[in-house]
Amino acid sequence: MTAVLTAEAVRVGPDLEAWLAVGGGGGLRRALAEPEAIIPVIEAAGLRGLGGAGFPTHRKWAAVAAQPRPAKGGKWVICNGNEDEPGTFKDRFLLSETPHQVIEGALIGALAVGASTIVLYVNPREAAAVRVLKQAAQAWAKHSLLAECAAFLGSPLRLDVVEGSGLYVGGEETAAVASVMGGFPFPSLKPPFPAEAGVNGAPTLLNNVETFAHVPHILREGAEWYRALGLGAAVGTKLYSLSGDVLRPGLHEMPMGTSLRQLVFAHGGGMLAQKAFKAVFTGGPSNTLLTAADLDVALDFDSLRERGSRLGTGAMIVVGEGTSILRKTAEYVAFFAANSCGQCPPCKIGTHQVARILERIENGAGRPGDLEALENLSKMLPGSGRCGLLDGAATVLSSSLHAFRAEYEAALARQSSGQVNLGAA
Amino acid sequence: MTAGIPLAQALANWRACAPAEPRPCGLPVAELLRGFHPDQRPGAMVPLLVGISAGQRAPAELAALLQADSLVDDIDLAGAPLLEADVLVIGGGGAGCVAALTAARAGARVLLVTKLRIGDSNTVMAEGGIQAAVGEDDSLQRHFEDTLRAGHFLADKSLVAALVSDGPAAIRWLIQEGMSFDLADEGRRMGGTLLRKKPGGASAARLLSYRDFTGLELMRALREAVLLQPGITLLDRHPALELLSDDRGRCAGAALHDLARGRTVLARAGATVLATGGSGRLHLLGFPTSNHYGATADGLVLAYRLGAPLREVDSFQFHPTGMAWPGHLEGQLVSESARSSGAMLVNGLGQRFVEELQPRDVVAAAILREIAEGRGILRDGRAGVFLDTPTLERGKPGILAGSLVTLSHLAHRAGIDPASEPFLIRPTLHYQNGGLVIDPAGRTPVPGLLAAGEVTGGLHGSNRMMGNALLELVAFGRRAGEAAILDARVERPRNVGLTHLADWRRALTVQGLPLSRKAPMIFPPYGNFNAATDRGKAA
Amino acid sequence: MTDDATAAGVVHLSFDGYAIQAEKGASLLQAWIASGLPLTENAGCMGQGVCGACRVLLRRPGERLPGTALACETPAEEGMQVSFVDHFPARRPHAYDLHGVTDSWAVLDEVDRTFPEAKNCRHCSGCDRACPKGIEVQRMVNLASVGQTFAAAELFDACVLCNLCVAACPEHIDPAHLGQFVRRISASMTLRPSDLIMRLREIEEGLQPIDPDAPGANPKVPT
Repeated sequence: MTAVLTAEAVRVGPDLEAWLAVGGGGGLRRALAEPEAIIPVIEAAGLRGLGGAGFPTHRKWAAVAAQPRPAKGGKWVICNGNEDEPGTFKDRFLLSETPHQVIEGALIGALAVGASTIVLYVNPREAAAVRVLKQAAQAWAKHSLLAECAAFLGSPLRLDVVEGSGLYVGGEETAAVASVMGGFPFPSLKPPFPAEAGVNGAPTLLNNVETFAHVPHILREGAEWYRALGLGAAVGTKLYSLSGDVLRPGLHEMPMGTSLRQLVFAHGGGMLAQKAFKAVFTGGPSNTLLTAADLDVALDFDSLRERGSRLGTGAMIVVGEGTSILRKTAEYVAFFAANSCGQCPPCKIGTHQVARILERIENGAGRPGDLEALENLSKMLPGSGRCGLLDGAATVLSSSLHAFRAEYEAALARQSSGQVNLGAA
Repeated sequence: MTAGIPLAQALANWRACAPAEPRPCGLPVAELLRGFHPDQRPGAMVPLLVGISAGQRAPAELAALLQADSLVDDIDLAGAPLLEADVLVIGGGGAGCVAALTAARAGARVLLVTKLRIGDSNTVMAEGGIQAAVGEDDSLQRHFEDTLRAGHFLADKSLVAALVSDGPAAIRWLIQEGMSFDLADEGRRMGGTLLRKKPGGASAARLLSYRDFTGLELMRALREAVLLQPGITLLDRHPALELLSDDRGRCAGAALHDLARGRTVLARAGATVLATGGSGRLHLLGFPTSNHYGATADGLVLAYRLGAPLREVDSFQFHPTGMAWPGHLEGQLVSESARSSGAMLVNGLGQRFVEELQPRDVVAAAILREIAEGRGILRDGRAGVFLDTPTLERGKPGILAGSLVTLSHLAHRAGIDPASEPFLIRPTLHYQNGGLVIDPAGRTPVPGLLAAGEVTGGLHGSNRMMGNALLELVAFGRRAGEAAILDARVERPRNVGLTHLADWRRALTVQGLPLSRKAPMIFPPYGNFNAATDRGKAA
Repeated sequence: MTDDATAAGVVHLSFDGYAIQAEKGASLLQAWIASGLPLTENAGCMGQGVCGACRVLLRRPGERLPGTALACETPAEEGMQVSFVDHFPARRPHAYDLHGVTDSWAVLDEVDRTFPEAKNCRHCSGCDRACPKGIEVQRMVNLASVGQTFAAAELFDACVLCNLCVAACPEHIDPAHLGQFVRRISASMTLRPSDLIMRLREIEEGLQPIDPDAPGANPKVPT
């Protein structure tokens, strides 16, 4: 399997010369030579947003490119490295071990849309990533390639490292914009999308770190090459963050569309302590669970959507027999409740109320009607937040109830005092 | 169905006659009460057959609960988790909080248990105010005499003397706990005077208030005080099922029910203070009520079973103006402040029929007389009389929006415009005048058992004055709290259990009363929780 | 009333996952009770709107955003989706000794010491949106943090201690308790009515005796 983003050769850290020596800069030069071909190449490659949404990258780039250049300040590119969700750890790897792929991708993006500021938006908790990124940015600032980009754009081109708030909610694109502008990362209602009105109201291109990282390779090797890396109809490679009850958790770069079975058993070393495979939190804690019946599903955007799930960030949190789905769900809902920014009471209060009910079921104090109350909340809350946090919490809740209702019922039947449940039907 | 005048006709009569002329009641007070007060209805009251107060009369619904069997048996106590305290306070309303604070500040380990949340009580719903004889033109003696007279001279003078003497100190105590009071001049916080109104039956203005939600203001301050007081352990959602006794008949605490987990918990204490409030949710005599959801006479039942005597449990206050229509607001209080501002009561013929600021029992009886004799107004199957707010507004433009804000809010929820349409009102079950016998220290005759607040008797005779209930909470909450800590130190109970139940059951059996009926009720029937059968699972 | 009479005046809604019916005009709490469901918490004043017990999240059909409300004072409407919300106490006790604050110059220090989170208000307005009484909670917090005690206390006049703002605050300021602090300290520290003080003195000096045998304290004897 061809490692692209994680190849030994490209893990040069902030050393720009080393990056250029292994083929770095090639994609950027192609872009400078034929700027009007950038977006078509991205389109032909089929690159999609790898931060979770899976939105076709070329459409976002085209939308920003089509916006008129603002009179003051120019357009913006934000490279989103906020990564703060349990189970996802790909962006910090890219930023701390091979930042130049990302930066070069962002530069190509700036050329495509006509931006004059690139913000490398990074989570301050990732000290190594912050340090390396700053060194990497400094190296580019002194390099002639950057000057060539500025010359093409007809304006100075800034490359800034901006530390975010370290909060989960800062990963949402409108929140990222607010954070870059110096404020609290509050998500806001869309439309308007950052593509039309982002930083200081200017058109802003926002993509995830991993998405940008593929771009220089695509420009240098071509769309066909990129498509061929994937399995079936899927394209390119994917950094799967594998964690949970497996023998070899960690980052696994695989062809997009690798099956769940392959990922867990062939590359992940199989289940820990010979426990049977029970479930996987697909795409992280804000999506649906898949079970043993789904082991052969291809882990790509479309195949998972057909299965009623989502790829998300490509995080796969594996759960074996012996791990409680109820407890994990309670843990994740509590995470969402704690990380809700507070603007929308249905989100803050709703997630806390769900967490409360789960907690008492967990502690042997669940009552008749609790499961119905949970289902009611999972139906009435989605769609009511300024961002997707609430929907994510509702999705993981209703998915776990659907797939593992027996676990909930068993916990309800158990009472902490050990008394027999006199009211059991 | 009662005869009466249909709404359209009644409105026409009202319009034709407004403003209606004053008309004398036509009946002497004693005859009016005898003929029309709900307590006096033939068959309303039955004599108690068992217990220390056998022979006393009580409403049939209450008598049934007082003479019921316990919810628990000795075996329910085996293996139940145990909590120990110096003082157990049962009830989280005003009186309970005051008692708990008093005892804790004197060094007691206090356990405060409540079946809903702390603060959920009749206290929080009180609108009018609290009486205290602070005016220059007023005196403790006048407060003393007014209270006795309003209660038809049936009250215990030593209790009333304690109540009124504690009045000014209670106000100061409340201010020190952070409760605000309206001032005559809001600009003069230091050295100004309190805003005083004259409640029905009083000879001086001594009703102190905070806006029209005095009870909420009081409860807010006390609730915070309890939450912050070291030495008080608070257990929400733990109703008391049965009092514990020792082999000398001393109260030794209570068996509680943990609603969240569906299990029994024992609370052993050197002294127990009952502050369980009233009984409105029993809907005595078939009346709607203004009371809180938890007012189901639990404390009366528990104490009576342990041998605490009762008094005036045949005397209930029916607040004259409860909402009669629409159905979903039935029983809700229309504050007396409307009448004290000048609003009149008008029957279906457009006539006034009573002096509106007479004591509540008189006004309530007069209204019921109009309805009984066919002069009431009928709307959607409900009968009542008019509270003429439109005429009030015409006479004092702006009064509804200005000072009768809660009233206007209530009208809005009823879907009427109080400036153009009168309220339809009817008496609502409001207050339990009698209750457990106590002495001025708050002690019942049962050692180790004290009580404070609406659950007690002897203060109000057969009719309570407005503003004395909130005063009672503070005055007797403090007294009971102080006495409880002394009692807790005197001697510890021994051989704690349910020894009193055997004698109780024998008494019921001898009288032929069914042991199948269980009490206390805990929640009203429409709460759909049967304390006898639903306790085994989490709720 | 017959079924025919009520059919026109019936609404259908979903409450905690139960499909229930309500009489038109009935409150959500009454609808719950009428449907035979158990009610052992989240109930209190039964319609006066003054005790804060019956908190709900509620979404009307077609609305994007569920709001908060008190079930006892909210009429049931067709298609509503409703969920009870628990009582959320403060995450940690904000302990202060009201009687121990004797120097009014130190009140703001006490706010900072007891409610240190208040300075970190992120101005999300979640508390304002959560309050079923329409109180400007956020402004109260901000005023309290800068020593405007009376103004903050005034804003919190209508609070019924439902604690929805406590659940809603991402910084764990526990606004309801800060609001009660400023209210309580305002009264306990500054309210000094002279009539009360004079009467207390009189009582202490024995100038307010009570005579149980006075004519006014006994029923009139018929002559």
